[in-house]
Amino acid sequence: MSHNKKALQPDWISKTLAGAALGLGLALSCSGLLSLALAGLPLPVRGQLVMWVVPLIALGAWSGVYLFPSGLSAWLWLGGTNLLSWGALGAIRFWIASTH
Amino acid sequence: MRADLIRIYKSVHTWTGIFSGMALFIAFYAGALTVFKEPLARWASPPQAIEVVPLAQAQSLILKTLAADPAAARDFTLHLEDVENVPARMQWQVRVGADSDDHDESAQRHFVATLDASGGALIHETHPSSLAEFIDVLHRVVGLPFDNDPNRWVMGGVAILYTLALVSGVIVLLPSLVKDFFALRVGKNLKRMWLDAHNVVGIISLPFHLVMALSAVVFAFHDPIYGLQNQLIHGGKWGAAFQRGAQPPHAPPPRDPAAMLAPEAIVAKARALSPGFQPTWVQYQQVTGPRPVARVWGRDDGAVMPRARGGFAAIDPYTGKVLNTDYLPGAQSTANLFISSFFALHMASFGDVAVKWMYFLLGLAGAWLFYSGNLLWVESRRRRAQPRAGGAPSQRLDCRLMASATVGVCLGCLCGVSLMTVAQKWLHGHGLDLAYWTRALYYAAFFLALAWSFRAGAARASVHLLGVAAALTLAIPLTSLLAWTFPSLGLWAHGSAAALGVDFTAGVGALCLAWMARVTWRRIRASAGDSVWSVPSPGAQAEADVRVRAA
Repeated sequence: MSHNKKALQPDWISKTLAGAALGLGLALSCSGLLSLALAGLPLPVRGQLVMWVVPLIALGAWSGVYLFPSGLSAWLWLGGTNLLSWGALGAIRFWIASTH
Repeated sequence: MRADLIRIYKSVHTWTGIFSGMALFIAFYAGALTVFKEPLARWASPPQAIEVVPLAQAQSLILKTLAADPAAARDFTLHLEDVENVPARMQWQVRVGADSDDHDESAQRHFVATLDASGGALIHETHPSSLAEFIDVLHRVVGLPFDNDPNRWVMGGVAILYTLALVSGVIVLLPSLVKDFFALRVGKNLKRMWLDAHNVVGIISLPFHLVMALSAVVFAFHDPIYGLQNQLIHGGKWGAAFQRGAQPPHAPPPRDPAAMLAPEAIVAKARALSPGFQPTWVQYQQVTGPRPVARVWGRDDGAVMPRARGGFAAIDPYTGKVLNTDYLPGAQSTANLFISSFFALHMASFGDVAVKWMYFLLGLAGAWLFYSGNLLWVESRRRRAQPRAGGAPSQRLDCRLMASATVGVCLGCLCGVSLMTVAQKWLHGHGLDLAYWTRALYYAAFFLALAWSFRAGAARASVHLLGVAAALTLAIPLTSLLAWTFPSLGLWAHGSAAALGVDFTAGVGALCLAWMARVTWRRIRASAGDSVWSVPSPGAQAEADVRVRAA
């Protein structure tokens, strides 16, 4: 690995908050996308499946958040990913609503 | 991998681990025992006092009992198996207090029904042993006394820390994994040896721990997650999805249970759905209401079982129509099988008894993993004797306290569980509230052990408490032996493989604890004195304290 990279900032509080809050946001939006992909299943079954993926994604993101060089970059990257996934969810829903 | 990254994740691992370790020890020790919840319940159940009505007369038993106590129609169970912890053919619970939590089985009164000589219904209140259920509660809420929402959220918080500790532990180990994995360096460097063992156990059981961590988070937080998803994803339709059909416009007249199919016919319907399905009991719900259902519960060792006690087929008790097979092991759709496998992987409800033993051992290994993690935390902060200073330095206060807390909590849990297990036989039949005393004895042993660990110091207390735990655990098979030798004592000993298995396992456990007490005692006597695991002579500690203050 490169040695002239800037040292990793611990930024405990801001990284932890980003991991907890944005990880949950990302997980909820991804569970929404999965719910759309599994639209053929009855709601009680689909709802349970997409509930189980929430902790997986949320805690995966939270576990990985300390890899970001700083708290700010964690907020920017995870925030951007949230915007993308919520945006995709909204766009697909809008498209489904307008075509049916 | 970059060194600063490893350093950051080492901090994550240290602090998430130290804040969750002791709670997880209790969850894993009690959880390993919960794998054998049914054998424990059978061991602890007194011999049946009521004659079990033959299955052929079960329909008459149901009808007479519902006539005598219509409230039982809400939800009652008809047992198909004749084992020690089944008190009678027909059984039901009445909840005490309207606001008690769903998962809390302590706030229930238990009733059974039988037939008298003239064929009339006889209803008795029973007080089944709460031992197996309470061990399960300790497991579900990390040692707290009741399984309710706030305690489950505490458990969920612990499970989140546990997940972070797992991932960070793997990241820290990755760069040296190949070098360290097959290395268990037994030798002079005790910290190295404990760290190697901690790493090996952690990596080998990593899949088991990932399953446990994520499913525990779900068990704690599924309601809030469903709530959020209902608003954000399901458009508020989640609650309605579980209602069966539309509500009738006006209440229909109550159904007459005499028109129900006989239990054997209902069970035969369920058996026909899946060849490997072995029915164990039938749960009748709302049989006089508009939506009567008979859930035929059972097991299938060759399939994935959705719950720890198996799975069920829902059948209309009047028409025999199959209402639902979503939870029937061996007959589930792919999506339902997927969901059930998360439960089965947590609860060891797949495969046969070999899988249960594997989970039991993995659970105990998990408890050891957290214990060793705390020891490593203490060891990393150890003050070693300097060759020139002479004598042993006193150890940091936080290390002494952490060592005492670890020994007290972990061994206190072992002592408490064994004590309340033995007490099931000794306290029975004296008119005591056994559920209350089971809890009281557990917490008495737990807090006494904790207090002694702080009073006597971790080193001394670890030997004492291991000895006490060994004695209390040995008392489990000894009590059965005593009951068998002297029947006049009023104790009992069941001869089934399940009950004998409890006695045998406790005997082996007691031997292991006694061995641990012995090697700990040797270790402490051989210690050079510069560790929390040494017993300083009274003068030496004071001298060392003076030296530190003078320095």
